[in-house]
Amino acid sequence: MAYLRQPEYVQYSCSCGSLKSISKIYFCRHCLSIRCGFCVCHEVDSYYCPNCLENLPTSEVRLKKNKCSNCFDCPCCLQTLSIRLGQSFSVSSQSKSEEESKPTTKKVYYLSCSLCRWSSRDAGIPDQTVATGSWKEQENPYSNRVNALINYYKILASFEKQQKERKKFHIKRSFLQFEKFGITSAMARKRSGRPPLTQAQNQTVTTPTPSVAEENVDESLSDLFTKSIDITRTTTIDQRLQHPELQADTIDKLRPQKKQFIIKRSQRCRTCEHNVSKPDYCSTSTKFKIQLAAYYHLPEVRIVTYEPLQFGKSSELLLKLSNPTQHQMQITFLSLETPVITTTKVQGVVEEINKERIQMGCDSPNLLPSAIRQTAVIEEVKPIIVVPNGEILLPNSSFTLPPKDEAAEYDELNVPQNFQDDPKVVVWRNSNKSVIRLHVLPDVTKSSGDMPETVIVGFVMQFSYINTIATLEHKTPQKLDLRVKLYLTLDNSSKIARTASMLK
Amino acid sequence: MEPQDIYYNKNEYVETASGNKVSRQTVLCGSQNIVLHGKVIVQSDAIIRGDLANVKTGRYCIIGKNVVIRPPFKRFTRGIAFFPLQMGDHVFVGDNSIVSAAIVGSYVYIGKNAVIGRRCVLKSCCYIEDGAVVPPETVVPSFTKFGGNPAKCIEDLPECTMDLMVDFTKSYYQHFLPSKV
Repeated sequence: MAYLRQPEYVQYSCSCGSLKSISKIYFCRHCLSIRCGFCVCHEVDSYYCPNCLENLPTSEVRLKKNKCSNCFDCPCCLQTLSIRLGQSFSVSSQSKSEEESKPTTKKVYYLSCSLCRWSSRDAGIPDQTVATGSWKEQENPYSNRVNALINYYKILASFEKQQKERKKFHIKRSFLQFEKFGITSAMARKRSGRPPLTQAQNQTVTTPTPSVAEENVDESLSDLFTKSIDITRTTTIDQRLQHPELQADTIDKLRPQKKQFIIKRSQRCRTCEHNVSKPDYCSTSTKFKIQLAAYYHLPEVRIVTYEPLQFGKSSELLLKLSNPTQHQMQITFLSLETPVITTTKVQGVVEEINKERIQMGCDSPNLLPSAIRQTAVIEEVKPIIVVPNGEILLPNSSFTLPPKDEAAEYDELNVPQNFQDDPKVVVWRNSNKSVIRLHVLPDVTKSSGDMPETVIVGFVMQFSYINTIATLEHKTPQKLDLRVKLYLTLDNSSKIARTASMLK
Repeated sequence: MEPQDIYYNKNEYVETASGNKVSRQTVLCGSQNIVLHGKVIVQSDAIIRGDLANVKTGRYCIIGKNVVIRPPFKRFTRGIAFFPLQMGDHVFVGDNSIVSAAIVGSYVYIGKNAVIGRRCVLKSCCYIEDGAVVPPETVVPSFTKFGGNPAKCIEDLPECTMDLMVDFTKSYYQHFLPSKV
């Protein structure tokens, strides 16, 4: 949760070049690379109402114009309206001819906003006898015209499409045509250059009557310049844009608006077309069918504390690393210049794995035939703009993080693990977590004079990863060494910068 | 960022067998109606109005200082009725917040100085920013972040929110230690 509350102190570099915190990136198990929100395909999975959480299929959503039929937004403050039960005062007032001595108590419903106290009664909307479904939406006075225009353009579009297709055919057919009817070469010469014969039956498109400019301006507008504006009666931009068809200019014309649906998204890797995240269809569920967030696959790095940074003096930096996977992890720190590549050890010989080859090895899960399917747009890798203004002194030795054990926290007796750790590097160890000590040296050359507010340091972390996905080439789990580039932002004014005594 | 240790005065807090840590400086009205499901921290000057209706919390709930937890009411034609307030697991309520929701799901973060209006429904995995005022009877869907006055959906939350929240409340509980002096 710290990731949601605090600035991103530890940033992982995505394969597309953007820097994100671990909570916002994905790890595609098929391409073995990091993906972020910028370099995955976002697909709409399901639509649901944010108020009543009703799930609707896509076709119905389109019919309802992405709006819920039961829930309404307040036109004034844009919050959800609640349906209230009231007594039927309106019944007696409407039918005055009937004897008023008989008070008829009937249940009626009206809409009311619990935030700004707007109610459908104030707006002059008659009360309803049923709670939901009977609220009429405001009619757009120009809906006929808009529909006519939409239909016209639809026809026009299909007509143009037909024409285009016909043109394609005729290039091939023009010769066939002549052979069929035995056209002489002279006639063929005459015909050449003219439009093909078959296009004679032309589709007629009825153009809707164009709108005509009027000379006479509405009389009511004459006092536009003379009348002072009552700002309390005028609607705000937000209120107007909530109903773009009408855009009421005074607040008494505001009408409740149906609530917009919100969506659940699934994310798909653009390179291998596998899903990296797919939520459960149900709107109330918080579970996922596919969940390849980096938080569950990459070692998490957190800043524990550091000494106040000073020029020309190395300060201690404590980092906490945790292994979220079910496999043991070997972690090595490398300098920032190290290329981010994937390697594997085959009989002790380090072999580089080409990312392209991994992708080729696995079949695309997208079931659409390749002709229809849109080809994935893969952007070029952006350069990382962050310039580190500090140096980090990394240990040469690597260390091991044991796998995550869910039951470990319930275990009273913490079994001491026998790891041959360098006590200078590894400060503390507990189940799948460990705290390591590094040293930071702020750069003198890049920033002259004052100590910068923040010092950015970067390094490449190499970690072992067990690829359990069976492909044609590798049936057994494959051990790989992956690398990720990390940038740490050390804020000198921050509270976490502690004195050296606190580190012990 | 790793959370820092928070030290409390050992005499001030009562620790129950199930791991609840409740400050003595709290107002727990109608304590027979309050159920804290274990490993819950209730910090000083918090008020839980169990006298109005039942208040139930799940495991690993953290209730900050000066928080008011008050079951919601609904006005009927014949008077007022109070409804029980349910809270899921791993819920954090920041200092000085007022919670009058009907249901607070699991893995919910409520910031400092926030006001949750009566009969709100906070679904699992949602986030209320500091100082947000959620109007009465609002539903906050999962994986959304609400903020402002009146509170509106600002952005979506990452998919791993659940585990971030579990980690946050658990480590808060682990770092909430009695002072050594």
